[in-house]
Amino acid sequence: MKFASQIINGLSLGSIYALVALGYNMVYGIVGLINFAHGDIIMVGGYMVYVAMVVAGAPLWVAVLASILVCAFTGIFIQQVAYQRLLNSGAPRISLLITAIGASIFLQNLFQMLFSSSGKSMPSMITGAPLNIGSLQISRVTMVTIAVSVLLMAGLQLVVKKTRIGKAMRATSEDAGAAVLMGINTKRTIVFTFGLGSALAAVGSVLYSSAYPLITPYMGGMLGLKAFVAAVLGGIGSLPGAMLGGYLIAVSESLTKAFGLSKLTDAVVFGILIVILLVRPAGLLGKNTKEKV
Amino acid sequence: MSVLTAKNISVVFGGLKAVEDFSIEISEGELVGLIGPNGAGKTTVFNLLTGVYQPTTGSITLNGQDVTGKKPEQIVSIGAARTFQNIRLFKQMTVLDNVLVADNGSRTYSVASALLRTTKYWKEEKAAREKAMALLSVFGMESLADATAENLPYGKQRKLEIARALATNPTLLLLDEPAAGMNPTETTELMETIALIREKFKVAVLLIEHDMSLVTGICERVIVLNFGNILAQGTPQEVTSNPEVITAYLGE
Amino acid sequence: MPKNKKSSYLLTLALVVVLYGVSAFLVASGRINKYVSGILVMVLVNIILTVSLNLASGFLGQLVLGHAGFMSVGAYASALFTLNSGLPISVAFPLSILIAGVVAVIFGILIGIPALRLKGDYLAIITLGFGEIIKVLINFFDFTGGARGLRGIPRVVDKSSGISVEFVKFSYAFFLAVLTIYLITAFIRSRHGRAVIAIREDEIAAEASGINTTYYKLLAFVMAAFFAGVAGALYAHHLGVLNPAKFDFNYSVEILVMVVLGGMGSITGSVVSAIALTILPELLRGFSDYRMLAYSVILILVMLFKPTGLMGGYEFSLSRLVRKLRGKNKEKAEQEKVGAAK
Repeated sequence: MKFASQIINGLSLGSIYALVALGYNMVYGIVGLINFAHGDIIMVGGYMVYVAMVVAGAPLWVAVLASILVCAFTGIFIQQVAYQRLLNSGAPRISLLITAIGASIFLQNLFQMLFSSSGKSMPSMITGAPLNIGSLQISRVTMVTIAVSVLLMAGLQLVVKKTRIGKAMRATSEDAGAAVLMGINTKRTIVFTFGLGSALAAVGSVLYSSAYPLITPYMGGMLGLKAFVAAVLGGIGSLPGAMLGGYLIAVSESLTKAFGLSKLTDAVVFGILIVILLVRPAGLLGKNTKEKV
Repeated sequence: MSVLTAKNISVVFGGLKAVEDFSIEISEGELVGLIGPNGAGKTTVFNLLTGVYQPTTGSITLNGQDVTGKKPEQIVSIGAARTFQNIRLFKQMTVLDNVLVADNGSRTYSVASALLRTTKYWKEEKAAREKAMALLSVFGMESLADATAENLPYGKQRKLEIARALATNPTLLLLDEPAAGMNPTETTELMETIALIREKFKVAVLLIEHDMSLVTGICERVIVLNFGNILAQGTPQEVTSNPEVITAYLGE
Repeated sequence: MPKNKKSSYLLTLALVVVLYGVSAFLVASGRINKYVSGILVMVLVNIILTVSLNLASGFLGQLVLGHAGFMSVGAYASALFTLNSGLPISVAFPLSILIAGVVAVIFGILIGIPALRLKGDYLAIITLGFGEIIKVLINFFDFTGGARGLRGIPRVVDKSSGISVEFVKFSYAFFLAVLTIYLITAFIRSRHGRAVIAIREDEIAAEASGINTTYYKLLAFVMAAFFAGVAGALYAHHLGVLNPAKFDFNYSVEILVMVVLGGMGSITGSVVSAIALTILPELLRGFSDYRMLAYSVILILVMLFKPTGLMGGYEFSLSRLVRKLRGKNKEKAEQEKVGAAK
């Protein structure tokens, strides 16, 4: 039973990883950049909920909405200030990576200054009776997490596949130069992508801090790293891959805990990254793409 | 003896046959043109021959060695060097260093030898520099040796790329639209240089050109590619009078 | 060796000897106190780290976010060796430096192979992960002292010998820093170094020029790891205690800031900024809370407005300086002559 409940925990955490991984994936797909600051957007989202609910006493839905808006704004702000100029000038990739890591460190340290490094306890956001199946108990948080993320991921698929802006996103990621010639406003598309990815991270942040109700300025680092590993495992650039990767990473993490090695979960995830890169660098569902020559 | 033999090579990208059943044989010192309309698969053929892409089917033999599936740097060491359609120089390096990078395979001194600055290091570095300067002088660029590559004018950048390719001691030189973006005078001059280096370095040349009139001037043989297939081949006269080729170029 | 090179090498050697002579005298005679000589050692440790990271990030162009991780591996390997070898410290310490480098190389190969075979930015993320995970592992195992840290690491010289510990520490650090600078410069100015820079400039063109890119990427990365390990050994025996928390992400970022600020691809820049960024925080202790915030802003601003760093690709050359001064003197002499003739 302990085993089964660990798997369920894994599915719940995996949904969150998948949401975050989607953000990495979308940005990587469209501008070819590992957006190191993406993990920290989750942290920003967590603190926004905290400020809205605990400091301002707002109801949950206001807090969630505020968090989504602030995260989307932060994501776009970082894109505009830190990446835009370098992307336009065709700077070397390492310059972009360095500004990305700079943005990440900036957010972490800014929030440490604002809120101290000790962390804040979150109020309980999702309450209600757990679901009992035999002796297996599934908490309300777990159910809501899985349901919300699956819905959001399905919604995102619809946006990307069916809408105008989705088509523009796919075109820009395929060939930005050609997309411009086809009359697509790639700049706006890139901004939208950063905003959407960050908004998803905000939701991920609400769900994450419901399950693990302590937020710190550095929480985004490891969470982001794991979500990125999930994206690589699933196949970078593939949305279903990000979901699959998220679930696989979280379940293997839960299983490591179930075997009593909870201190080593991070190391296990890292080991998985090394193995994928060795065995199947394109990921489980990714396409092998060659750079244009 | 043939320098390059490719037999029935094909490659498929996402269900699309980019190149289908392409075969070619190039003899020592021959100058062959590869022409075709935009998107015909000329550059893809280059990428297949130089190991950037792996052919789905078919085989490639270079200087008597099977190079099918080999990596680009291995193919270079067996004797095929190339240039790129959209010039790829080491922009921040000097002109001389650009050539010296390609000379790497001709030198044998080890990392330890470099760290200890052994006699072998000094000797080989001197030889490398002399060879590189000699190559640059073929293109009249020896006075630019210390200039940064990205500061060169366009025409000189194209020439530097050819000099760099020659530094790998190739027996086959693959040039991808070397005259692209040049004015008629520069183009004529370049074509003369190509004819000259073929004599001087005893290399066979496979040349991609978009503009048919350029190729007919210097090539002994021309291959026309259309939609990934060989449409025609022969002497420039035969090819230019072929009705299928005319249709492919001018449309119906 | 060509004659003009020989004189330039001798000139540089002379400068290094003078520099060492003066500072070693100040340290040994106690004119520089223990606190300041400790900072000097840390400056030299950071020079080794910065110059070596510059090889991987500045010259090869691959972002490494776990340089402190390699340093920690070297630090623990060397400390565990000198603690357990039973050899006299004057033998054990030099050996342990080599061991530190080799152990860091092994880790470098283990994570370099999966990441560097591929084109793309995998090295950044995999080294970021490595830096975090190695801390977890050091905490997890008992033989590393766990979270309590490793204590009682022997001093670099026998107490009974009567030689000043500060002097010996400084001498080791000075020698290793000079050696690192020399070896990396010599590497860069060889066919191997040119291949590494070519990969940074254009990986596909490098392949097309016959460069085995995987080999050279791995070589440069692993060399960088080696020197980080060496710096770790120095650090461990300088402080005498190791705390896994010290080798965190922030330390890796600090070294990266030194590289970026000094100029990616400039060894002179790395040395200058390692000196400045080690001493400045000591002077500005009151601002230590804002240090990482300032570093993050530096990273972004330098990349946006001066991507080549403060020094760009500039390298200091003593022989060039001498030539210049001589040229000026000659000019002056000529002018004086002309003046006198008038």
